[in-house]
Amino acid sequence: MKTVFRYAIRYKWSMTIAIFLMLLELAVELIQPLLIGKIIDDGIMKEDLGIVGVWGTVMMGLALVALFSGVVNSYFASHVAQSFGYDLRQALFVRVQALSLAAFLRFPTSSLITRLTSDVTLVQNALFMSLRIMARAPLMVLGSLIMAFVVNSKLAIFLLAGAPFLAVFLVIMARKGVLLFGRVQRRLDSVNQLVQENLQAVRLIKAYLRGAYETSRFSQAAGALKKDSVHAMRLMELILPVLLFIMNVSFMAVLWFGADEVRNSGMPVGDVVAIVNYAMRMTSAFSMFSFLIVIFSRAKASSERMEELLRTDDELEPLNSLGNRCHGAAAVRFEHISFRYPGTNENVLKNVSFEVKPGEKIVIMGATGSGKSTMLQLIPQMFHATEGTLSINGKNVEDWPLDSLRKMIGYVPQQSMLFTGTVYENLSWGKQDASQDDVEEAAIKAQIHQSVMRFTDGYQTRVGQKGVNLSGGQKQRLSIARALIRKPSILIMDDSTSALDVKTEAALWMALEEEDTTMFIVTQKIQTALIADSVLLLSEGEIVGHGTHEELLKTSSFYRKIAESQQTEGVE
Amino acid sequence: MMSKPFGYEPIIQKEDLSKSNRKKVQKASNWKSVLFRTWRLIDHQRALLVVVLVLVLVSSALALVGPLMIGNIIDHYVIPKKVEGLGMQIGWLLVVYAGFSIATYLQNYWMVGIAQQTVYRLRTQLFGHLQKLPIRFFDKRQHGELMSRVTNDIENVSQTLNSSFIQVFSSVLTLVGTLSIMLYLSPLLTLLTMMIVPLMFLAMRWITRRTGILFKEQQRAIGELNGMIEETISGQRVVKAFSQEQNVVKEFAEKSERLRTAGFWAQTYSGFIPKVMNTLNNMSFAIVAGVGGLLAVKGYGGVTVGTIVIFSEYARQFTRPLNDLANQFNTVLSAIAGAERVFTIMDEPAEKDEGLKQAKTQTLKGDVEFCNVTFGYEKEETVRGISFHVKPGETAAFVGATGAGKTTIMQLLSRFYEVDSGQILLDGIPIDQLPRQTVRSQMAFVLQDPFLFEATVRENIRYGKLDATDEEVEAAAKKANADTFIRKLSDGYDTVLTAGGEEISQGQKQLLSIARALVADPTLLLLDEATSSIDTVTELAIQEALERLMEGRTSFVIAHRLNTIRKANKIYVLADGEIVEAGSHADLLERRGLFYDMLKNIE
Repeated sequence: MKTVFRYAIRYKWSMTIAIFLMLLELAVELIQPLLIGKIIDDGIMKEDLGIVGVWGTVMMGLALVALFSGVVNSYFASHVAQSFGYDLRQALFVRVQALSLAAFLRFPTSSLITRLTSDVTLVQNALFMSLRIMARAPLMVLGSLIMAFVVNSKLAIFLLAGAPFLAVFLVIMARKGVLLFGRVQRRLDSVNQLVQENLQAVRLIKAYLRGAYETSRFSQAAGALKKDSVHAMRLMELILPVLLFIMNVSFMAVLWFGADEVRNSGMPVGDVVAIVNYAMRMTSAFSMFSFLIVIFSRAKASSERMEELLRTDDELEPLNSLGNRCHGAAAVRFEHISFRYPGTNENVLKNVSFEVKPGEKIVIMGATGSGKSTMLQLIPQMFHATEGTLSINGKNVEDWPLDSLRKMIGYVPQQSMLFTGTVYENLSWGKQDASQDDVEEAAIKAQIHQSVMRFTDGYQTRVGQKGVNLSGGQKQRLSIARALIRKPSILIMDDSTSALDVKTEAALWMALEEEDTTMFIVTQKIQTALIADSVLLLSEGEIVGHGTHEELLKTSSFYRKIAESQQTEGVE
Repeated sequence: MMSKPFGYEPIIQKEDLSKSNRKKVQKASNWKSVLFRTWRLIDHQRALLVVVLVLVLVSSALALVGPLMIGNIIDHYVIPKKVEGLGMQIGWLLVVYAGFSIATYLQNYWMVGIAQQTVYRLRTQLFGHLQKLPIRFFDKRQHGELMSRVTNDIENVSQTLNSSFIQVFSSVLTLVGTLSIMLYLSPLLTLLTMMIVPLMFLAMRWITRRTGILFKEQQRAIGELNGMIEETISGQRVVKAFSQEQNVVKEFAEKSERLRTAGFWAQTYSGFIPKVMNTLNNMSFAIVAGVGGLLAVKGYGGVTVGTIVIFSEYARQFTRPLNDLANQFNTVLSAIAGAERVFTIMDEPAEKDEGLKQAKTQTLKGDVEFCNVTFGYEKEETVRGISFHVKPGETAAFVGATGAGKTTIMQLLSRFYEVDSGQILLDGIPIDQLPRQTVRSQMAFVLQDPFLFEATVRENIRYGKLDATDEEVEAAAKKANADTFIRKLSDGYDTVLTAGGEEISQGQKQLLSIARALVADPTLLLLDEATSSIDTVTELAIQEALERLMEGRTSFVIAHRLNTIRKANKIYVLADGEIVEAGSHADLLERRGLFYDMLKNIE
């Protein structure tokens, strides 16, 4: 909880004010019974309306003071709580952004979402509650206890008798609560995950008529959440009755021994009555205690989840350092690169070496799962090579500032991922300061300009999440334009023309001819290999051929097989 | 400072609270119907609820009896120093308190169950309804925003249901009890005490009119933030590749700030409630003491000093449950803000399905005819005047430039969308007269973006036919040429695929979704770029399997690799949403039209 509550410290002044106001209010509340007594005893009993008037006015004045402190406390407490929540969310989000892909993939998306919303809210509410009522319950108990001791320590000791049991009980319950509420939050993760999956796969689920099946899967997840919530909450509901019972037993001890004392040692009856009164006040404060324990154990469970994320500081990537980027095509060199994904044993790439000169186009071909995408992900340092050196312009990529490196790369992923916003926003995403001309230029090159102009709102057309209602080819071309707009030194196209028809694709390659960039193109199409400077063949993570189209036709049986598989296409 | 404390922009504008707008706001929020619908979710547990209420009664009664007994013990045993019977009395007291603790525990025990069961029902109903909504609904919405409704909004309801019900009931009980005693003691003073009730009402209205709006704003803001988080995190690779981290952080901060502002105001205004109530409480005491004292002195209305003393104590007790009620009212408002967002979704009309009931079990032959079909996702038409006829067992291929409308035709055939004009006939029956169930249960799809669930490979393939045996699954995987790579995975068919998974490549995903379609064994087969990410050598290998699959079934194929479509009975060439050419491969080549051009380009 420490790491998380560190974020509250910067609001220490507001917190101090809030707590001070809370105490002020409490003080007024404690004085009030005295004033009431005075009004009754000196005023009403003696039929002196003057006294009633005076003390009544004082009381009203104090009530207004309490109202004022309460209202102002409300402002300060919510300011602290909300700002704390805001800072926490920000810290978590920044951490998510800074995580290396390898570390990032350890957290399921759904769980990250819960941590950033639900968990933050729980902790934030706990802080707000602390600033409002935290001190009240303990002060009330302590005050009553002290008063009881002042009255008669012999009897008051019985009120303390239950204390050790209570303390042990409360500690056990709090611990158990943290555990159980942690589980509840994890269940919430899986509910979140199922919903997310269902939203992503909505077409597939409808197509296969799996609505009922998915609903039953969801019922299971929601049922598990229910079961664990009920379990946790029911256990917490045990706190209050047990507290009250222990307290009430102490009560009876006071009565029993009190009666004894009155009889044998002449203790005044008033003492017994007074202690009984204080004990009653203590019990009323206890109900607040149980409420606080629930809030705190939930908050503790949630902060542990957040801390898990905040403590993941292996392989953090620096966020933008405003590094300069190089322009113009870059040279790329793979030297004895081997790679395996973190947490696996098998190498996906094995001793890969090749070189691409500035401005060259290299086409990478190979069977599905031969490591093509993996290889390309190493260039922008999505993952680090397990062995070997990858250098760009003669400099090891590990030595490049990450930001400068990625800024010179235009990356077109296999699955075009567009974001909610306009076409314009999606394209200028590749380059923040892009002008309308830049955007259009990139769109023209990517062969998407004409399609965009046909949309009702042109570049201002809104594309939904993941660009729904754009055809597969349109999404791919927008994704290509987004990469082109930054005039990359290295352009990585990971099978990103698969949904393009032949004509459009040919026009695209033509337009890309003039680009001053080094191109890595993963493709299945042999025609694309024809325009490349060289072709790299991958098989099970190894290079099994490297050369021009003609050379490979001669030397590689594997390449001939690919070529043959496509030869029947086209006009005989 | 006052209008913008700590720099928070005010959310509530004067207009929001003006008379004309108030009506609108209230109509839109319609909290009565929200409460009623929530009640409907609980009401099947009515019996248990009655038990809880009885227990609340019992515990309230025992809570009253306890102090009375203590008073009794003091008066009759402690003061007169009587020993015999004291043990007995204390024993009874013990029983009362034990009873109280047990009643308190049990009422909460069952209430937690009732509340969570209700929340569970709300959640599953919402989810079930989401399954019934048309694709169009999902096109425009962010996933994370919808997710927030299933989690954050419903959690709000959950928090409230747990505590509010018992609280409200016991508050009302205490209120009635105290009020009766007060009336019994002095109707006149009761009337005086009641003077603060209108004030309370006004204060509450002032506050809740604001918090009502603010809670809604808060839930909306958290939904929007959730949407942004989900989208960004799902696209994290692209964010990284374009080194946009700083910018998404900035965007996040803006959205998060909106949530903070809404949260600040909501929490601040809600925080006023107990404070205001306390003050009114004190005022009521002052009134009773002052006016009562005056009356006692003058000797009006039978008010005596003793009455005032006792009465003032009860007056204090009277405001406590009122205070509790006020607080609960506010909590309920925040739950309503959440529940309302849930019900909004549940009010979205489900996909219409007025299919003929008798056709439910009908097996289709697979005769598909499009008659002059026109359709647009938005205002502009995506496909126009599409007409074609595919006979049972035939294969129809669709080719054309991207955005020409190929996928749209598939989407119409599977009834993801309804046509704007024209008709689609399946076995001669208009498709909108067939239950979707019938249509889709006999179709198998390989969609453009292969999607795999976070489950084992085996479960993912079995998705095509839930009762498929392991042998069937593996046979399908073999046919789809996926068996070899699956066996190389760490746990073979039992390898769990994860969302961010690096386990398998895009092409392998396509192989798995082909296997999934193979397992389904449908009458109609829809392949939308089913092999686009698969290398051509592997493609050749599964070509045979695909052809065998298409045999005897009506198949629709979209592909850019013209290889895949050579053997189609008919090829339809689409341009700008219209069919411009149709015929067999040979016919089209002979015609030397658009199709011929497309092929020539490859050379």
